[in-house]
Amino acid sequence: MRTAAELNYGEIGIISEIDSSHPSSKRIIEHGFTPGQTIELINKSIFNDPIAVSVRGTLIAIRKCEAGCIKLK
Amino acid sequence: MKTNVDVQIPLITLVGPPNSGKTTLFNILSGKNYKTVNYPGSTVEYYTSRILSRYNINAELLDSPGIVSLIPESPDEKVAVDSLYSHPKLGVPDILLTTVDSCQLSRHLLLPKQLISAGFNVVVVLTMTDILAKRGKKVSESKLSKELNCDVVIVNGRSKKGLENLLEIINSKIDRLNEFDKNKITAYNSGENNKTSLGIFYEIEEILKKVYEPLNPDKKIDLVSANKELKVLKEEFSNDGFSPDELTLKIDRILLHRFWGFVIFLLVMGLTFTSIFWLAQPLMILVDELFTDLNSLVVQNFKPGWFTYLVSDGIISGTGSVLVFVPQIFILFLVLGLLEDSGYLARGAMLIDKPLSKIGLNGRSFVPMISGYACAIPAIIAARTIPNRKERLLTIFIIPLMSCSARLPVYALLIAYLIPKDKSWLGGIILGGIYLFSILTSVVVAFVINKFRKKIFTAEESSSFILELPTYKLPKLSSVISHTYNSSKQYIFRAGPIILGFSLVLWFLTYFPHISPQIETNGMSLGQKQNVERSERLEKSYAADLGKFIEPIMHPIGMDWRIGVSLISAFAAREVFVSSLALTFKVTTDDDQSQNTLLNSLREAKIQSTGEKLFTTATTAGLIVFFIFALQCLSTVAVSRKETGGWKIPILQVLIFTSLAYIMTFITVNGLRFFGVQ
Repeated sequence: MRTAAELNYGEIGIISEIDSSHPSSKRIIEHGFTPGQTIELINKSIFNDPIAVSVRGTLIAIRKCEAGCIKLK
Repeated sequence: MKTNVDVQIPLITLVGPPNSGKTTLFNILSGKNYKTVNYPGSTVEYYTSRILSRYNINAELLDSPGIVSLIPESPDEKVAVDSLYSHPKLGVPDILLTTVDSCQLSRHLLLPKQLISAGFNVVVVLTMTDILAKRGKKVSESKLSKELNCDVVIVNGRSKKGLENLLEIINSKIDRLNEFDKNKITAYNSGENNKTSLGIFYEIEEILKKVYEPLNPDKKIDLVSANKELKVLKEEFSNDGFSPDELTLKIDRILLHRFWGFVIFLLVMGLTFTSIFWLAQPLMILVDELFTDLNSLVVQNFKPGWFTYLVSDGIISGTGSVLVFVPQIFILFLVLGLLEDSGYLARGAMLIDKPLSKIGLNGRSFVPMISGYACAIPAIIAARTIPNRKERLLTIFIIPLMSCSARLPVYALLIAYLIPKDKSWLGGIILGGIYLFSILTSVVVAFVINKFRKKIFTAEESSSFILELPTYKLPKLSSVISHTYNSSKQYIFRAGPIILGFSLVLWFLTYFPHISPQIETNGMSLGQKQNVERSERLEKSYAADLGKFIEPIMHPIGMDWRIGVSLISAFAAREVFVSSLALTFKVTTDDDQSQNTLLNSLREAKIQSTGEKLFTTATTAGLIVFFIFALQCLSTVAVSRKETGGWKIPILQVLIFTSLAYIMTFITVNGLRFFGVQ
């Protein structure tokens, strides 16, 4: 299953679930990453990590290891 | 605050997610006349103020730190949330004003929904509706109010439109306060967090379908544009809200470009960094001259005696050493405030997060570290923005290694001594090298300390970096300046008394017990006479005793008790080292050429027991190395204790950095000698 960490530039994905075993899952949900939401990879930093993802009309910078618990359809 | 309780002034607390316009609303209501309150026993800081009298509301206003949700994650967030329930000084809030960005309802409604279900007396303030209008949309206050079952009011932060409505609602709420039962506020359900939050988000999605309306429903539309709009609407609904701001995306294509983004970041930070020095330099010289003049004014016009010297050397010079850094700190806060307000600082944190995470730090450590190049004190305070406790403590730990501006006069003197007169360009290169070296060593030290973190920092939390990148906007200069003013004031009142206090102690140590030396003063001007007296007095003072006591330690690094005394004096403030050297080496002129005279007397200085030259290339280089590492600033120690909540970290900092300084100096001096450099 693909995760938000594997998105390419400009690629759009739809969230299927958030891995709630991850310690950051609570914070990720509170920032609006919920199942059914469309997300898009907007930018990557020079080291490929963190990445900037748009969700609910806002840009969120998130580390790849944390984006890994956002599972996509 | 006790009187407030007696007369029952209602408490209105402002709460909201970051970037929701909370501070703007606070500034409007308070008229920027706020004061800071610390939550007892923690670093969470609040602003409080009375509501401006012209609004005719007699209430205390409390601004709390921005929070995303009512379920705290870090200890600092827990304190922030706890204080919503009951602030230890101000009590339970009577009314909660919750700011919500109307363009981000989809995310920002989470907090008000949680607050309402916890039973608070909530008023939702919708902000940034002007930006929403540009996208052809508006939010229906009445529908949202019905859906949330609480008062909703639109307030425009720039034009203040809607403020009247807000004041009316607050007034009517205050009139009906007896209907609101504070005891019914319940702790927010923290069981099954994720499921509850998900549930709230589904509710929010349903609400959004009802409350967003097109701005001009009656506008005549032709078929083509109607089709276009329909298409847009369809896309937006699949997105459940909005796409990010177009302009922001365009700017980010450059500023967050994979390669150029980082280059621009380095340039911006380089400029910020140099502006701290270049812009502040003339002002600092001005402050310095002012206090030097004031000092000599006192010495010349009053009868010489211990009291005159207490005023001139103790109080006036002490105050001067506090105020000399104010221009630099003001400019630093101003530049960082402008960067933050524009939305760039969050991007900077994102770009630098990866390299910093390698050494146990966080993208958010970056701003405190940069601030450390001006002064460690505001830098340590700025580390509060780091949510993870371990990363915050590690950031505080290495901040004293950032080459703060107090070291600059010391470096300037020692470099001037090192380089030949005809090669002054070499000085800039050496200074640049010193800064580069200090960056490298702080990286190495952070890396090593991070290896031992389990022993030093008991907090063990998973590291995280999730940060909202706000929409770019033009910074609001007036609010940035007022914030800068308040932060600078905070520095003066926090660090000022400590620096001044230690200056007085050091003055005592360098002045007593030999207060009136008998010396041959024939043919000397008044200024020369006083300077000779001062150095005579110093030579037999308690500080000199202390210096002679530590001479055995100074010997292996090629130095004697006189440098020891100056190093001890430098504990009050590092730049004191220079004036202290001048005193101990009996610089007997008081004209503008004092640095040259000081350099000359340093050149002639010899170690008394052996007759060897004291300031050789090796020992001077060693002194520079000493200043790079040593934590010679008691104010930093005091602030570090306060911010880390204990003595453990400040004591470790003093021990580790000072012994590191000694060892590195030893290696430098003896290494250079080994290779034939004297």
